[in-house]
Amino acid sequence: MTAAPAILPARSLADRLTATFWRHPRVLLAILLTPPLLWLGVVYLGSLAALLLQSFYSIDEFSGVVKQEFTLKTYAELLRPSNFDILVRTVIMAASVTLACAVLAFPIAYYAARYAKGHWKAAFYLGVMLPLWSSYLVKVYAWKLILAKEGIIGWAAERTHTSWIIDGLLSIPGLEGSSLSTSPLGTFAVFVYIWLPYMILPMQAALERVPNSMLEASADLGATRAQTFRTVILPLALPGVIAGSIFTFSLTLGDYIIPQIIGNSANFIGMAVYQLQGTAGNIPLAAAFAVVPILIMLVYLWLARRMGAFDAL
Amino acid sequence: MTTAVTFQNVSRHFGTVKAVDGVDLTIAEGSFFAMLGPSGSGKTTCLRLISGFEKPTGGAIRIFGEDVSNTPPHLRNVNTVFQDYALFPHMNVRDNVAYGLMVKGMGRSQRHAKAEEMLALVKLDAYGGRKPAQLSGGQRQRVALARALVNEPRVLLLDEPLGALDLKLREAMQDELKALQHKLGLTFVFVTHDQHEALSMADSLAVFNEGKIAQIGSPQDIYDRPATRFVADFVGSSNVLPPDLTRALGGPPEWASLRPEATRLAASGPVSGPVTALRYLGSGTRVVLDLKGTEVAALVPAGQPVPAEGATSAIGFDPKDLHLMGAA
Amino acid sequence: MLSERSPLSLRAAAIGGLLFLHLPILLIFLYAFTTEERSFQFPPPGLTTQWFTTAWYDRPDIWPPLWLSLKVATIATSIALILGTLVAAAMTRTAFFGRDQISLLILLPIALPGVITGMALRSAFGIMDIPFSVWTIVLGHATFCIVIVYNNAVARLRRLSGGIMEASADLGANAFQTFRHVLLPNMGSALLAGGMLAFALSFDEVIVTIFTAGSGAEAKTLPIWMLDELIRPRQRPVTNVVAIVVFAATFFPILAAYYLTRGGSETAGMGK
Repeated sequence: MTAAPAILPARSLADRLTATFWRHPRVLLAILLTPPLLWLGVVYLGSLAALLLQSFYSIDEFSGVVKQEFTLKTYAELLRPSNFDILVRTVIMAASVTLACAVLAFPIAYYAARYAKGHWKAAFYLGVMLPLWSSYLVKVYAWKLILAKEGIIGWAAERTHTSWIIDGLLSIPGLEGSSLSTSPLGTFAVFVYIWLPYMILPMQAALERVPNSMLEASADLGATRAQTFRTVILPLALPGVIAGSIFTFSLTLGDYIIPQIIGNSANFIGMAVYQLQGTAGNIPLAAAFAVVPILIMLVYLWLARRMGAFDAL
Repeated sequence: MTTAVTFQNVSRHFGTVKAVDGVDLTIAEGSFFAMLGPSGSGKTTCLRLISGFEKPTGGAIRIFGEDVSNTPPHLRNVNTVFQDYALFPHMNVRDNVAYGLMVKGMGRSQRHAKAEEMLALVKLDAYGGRKPAQLSGGQRQRVALARALVNEPRVLLLDEPLGALDLKLREAMQDELKALQHKLGLTFVFVTHDQHEALSMADSLAVFNEGKIAQIGSPQDIYDRPATRFVADFVGSSNVLPPDLTRALGGPPEWASLRPEATRLAASGPVSGPVTALRYLGSGTRVVLDLKGTEVAALVPAGQPVPAEGATSAIGFDPKDLHLMGAA
Repeated sequence: MLSERSPLSLRAAAIGGLLFLHLPILLIFLYAFTTEERSFQFPPPGLTTQWFTTAWYDRPDIWPPLWLSLKVATIATSIALILGTLVAAAMTRTAFFGRDQISLLILLPIALPGVITGMALRSAFGIMDIPFSVWTIVLGHATFCIVIVYNNAVARLRRLSGGIMEASADLGANAFQTFRHVLLPNMGSALLAGGMLAFALSFDEVIVTIFTAGSGAEAKTLPIWMLDELIRPRQRPVTNVVAIVVFAATFFPILAAYYLTRGGSETAGMGK
């Protein structure tokens, strides 16, 4: 074998640049990170800062011009009964949607994690993934078709002579409406439908981490099926539920399309933001409204973190 | 004799962890050099310092006399057989082997011819078109070897290359590697935690402990004359005698090692104790005595009387076989 | 022992749940063929394919939003592909200061409700006097698409044996050769999947877009057009025809992305 040199010469600019990256790893890191950090830092964080800034401005009630002076007046407006109602209503809606999603998601996640094998497992996964990713607007639209007075639910109820159930539900105070599509019940149903996959996936992930041997150990120690479920499966699934609830809660807090299309046009935080910045032109108040979900989510995330939910994300 | 690799007081510290700490070593050209030690002892880090995937925090490394402090891995004419082989999953075996030639700009037909030649050398001629996933562990290991050797490196680095193979394959590969090294006359640097592998394959070896070299020498040196208790314990089946026992047996108050082959049973002696275990080895019997709380083994050649378990016996040996290791 | 067969009630609930997720979408298809154009009467009084020809020939208002959406999704996806891959490549390197903060920053645009991203961008445009345009839409879309590409890229990089990059350098390849011959071929399908999901997400996005598109007719993306039709319907079945197009434009990329990254967990867990 001919004795080649122990160190090869750099043949190209690329070789020399690679040598520079090797000698100074931070150079490469900086080159990689600068463009995305500039983008996210300037576009996104910059915008959030602008939002925060706007929320401390106020609007002149007579001229409708934004006064660019620091004030807490706009935040104080949030506490006015009409505005405070919006906050309360949104939080109640987000909480009940989250609860309903958790209940509905459990059998699907549990079945997919424990029993589904091979092709069925793939089918379940895809069956949850596709609705999660497919067009949001199309899904909302589908529910407008379903919930309309002359739509499929009304038709089915009429055929089975169960219209009185729907009528009964629609006469409950707070849920009134001429049909499901104009009742808060409809809004609730659509929220649950749209965000359900966001609950199923983390829940399934958490359940899949429960080893079968642990369930067998519990059965071995004399626990009944119900006891195993309550004392072993539920506590272990909880981080998944909390992780999922972060999505369902946050997404419901901010949505303004669903309550606009389905429901009794009662105001929600998202709608308030949308209307205030649009037709009303009250950007400071819109900004203040938008800050509320951020604060709620920060508290929520802090609580979730303390309960160990992030391991399931 | 040319030196292939030299370490001059080389250190690699990660924060407060001293993975490699003040190592000096010289690897002769054409030798089969083994780095032996338990996991975390710094041997793999040393190998990565030679290939350039780690940079020393102190000291200097030379490859064939040239300081490589400023040379990135891709410009070092050394190649590595990785522990998990690290074959490119998207390329077939032939392209894997030809990769080094391709990035250096060699034409397609020429590099494929060379790759086939190298595959023949490792007895994989018929496998060029397969993907790594379609090969067995032993075959992947050979591909990794061919992929490194095709570049005609000045030094071949092997990072526990046999670790993932089962015992039988492992022994066959040990012989093959040794034969290949002999045939090519190439410098092999071999990292392993298996003392038998190191002793049987290497021309010389370094025993690592806690980032430092505990002893460096020929397999014979290390086996017969371990420099420290650690080496004696880790490398072999030597008896390790604490200072008080050494003194009781007629030596100075130092730690010492004594090979079982050099130890014989005696009816009486300065120290005696009960026989605690017997193991028949075919060529003889290994008798273990408890001498003042230390287990000492002696090899009784076949045909000589063997005491019963529980019987009391003493030992004798030629004083020149007692190897002293100092107060540590 | 845990019985291998599932309780019947559980299986029924699970399959019922999946049907609940899928059946509503099928209705969209049915109503695209109804002869009744003013209400959502069920069952449809008759079936016709006329709405497809109507949508194609008689509704010129559909085309500009469609082109705009395609354009925005293409540009936003391209930007997200570049930026997302860069961050992913940086994050697979050893720990560095600020690593956790950066991963949080990438996640934030989809972790917070879209209305916040929208309102925040709107405020920034207002303060800086930036007029609404295609580019203001792209700015928003690219921001929340980065995380999609990033997730896919990072999951693949994590699955890839780190050794092969070192092996490439060991065999004499410089960083650019390693990128081209080793990294890209192994990352390709994950990036394609990430790009497709990002495209689907952008093509369909409406919550942020409304805040960043302005009110002009030239700033109407297809989802905004659809929303207008939902609030003020003209020919309802035509909306269904467009809904099918939107659905297909998101459905097929998602399906493709799934098959490209099967075996990994790239597409799971994270949505819009």
